[in-house]
Amino acid sequence: MEEYQTFETDLIHAIFKLVWSRRALERQLLEGTDALDGEVGAGTSKKNRPTSANANALKLSCELLRNFVTEAVQRAATIAEAEGTDKIEATHLERILPQLLLDF
Amino acid sequence: MEREEDDSVSEVLRDRFRLSTISIAEAEAKRSGMEISEPVVACISDLAFKFTEQLAKDLELFTQHAGRKSANMEDVILCAHRNEHLAALLRSYRDDLKAKEPQSDRKRKKASKKDDRAPEDIVHVPDI
Repeated sequence: MEEYQTFETDLIHAIFKLVWSRRALERQLLEGTDALDGEVGAGTSKKNRPTSANANALKLSCELLRNFVTEAVQRAATIAEAEGTDKIEATHLERILPQLLLDF
Repeated sequence: MEREEDDSVSEVLRDRFRLSTISIAEAEAKRSGMEISEPVVACISDLAFKFTEQLAKDLELFTQHAGRKSANMEDVILCAHRNEHLAALLRSYRDDLKAKEPQSDRKRKKASKKDDRAPEDIVHVPDI
């Protein structure tokens, strides 16, 4: 069987960066550093530099996210199968959603 | 206006993320011999995106709590610590990743890796 699909690390990386820089900016504003600094780049002040991640951590995050998606599909597929259909519908997802969200 | 720019960037990312999710979800459905309806995939993709954002926040908190500036694999595993199976899965994946690096000269490799693939390894200030 072919290699399974997964997320691209640079995509996940970009999303992480967006969240982190947004939060760094918020921190900066909270601390009352001048707003000009924040517009130039969120990393000007050493203390408020956004978090970063190493390459392996990103790969691991991709794996975690891939697992989230495949779990959702597999669990919904089980319910659909039990109902005797071979198409996964919204109702099947609804059934598995609470436990899925508790598990991740 | 800062915010608007931010939103358009996140819009693009969200779309790219959705495309990835669709291909993963459909491949997975095909594997178990099922069809999957479009709204379900869209919903899963939205959930996964929210999960990603939450993951970013968690990672940041764990990283800062450890007194580091850069998230590593342990931080990611910590994010999944509530689910033992998931954590075990991630741990074995981490071991796989580690095994790929040669054991003997890992330290040296770390130094050289920085030069080789700096843009991927070091995540700094994004240029938005």
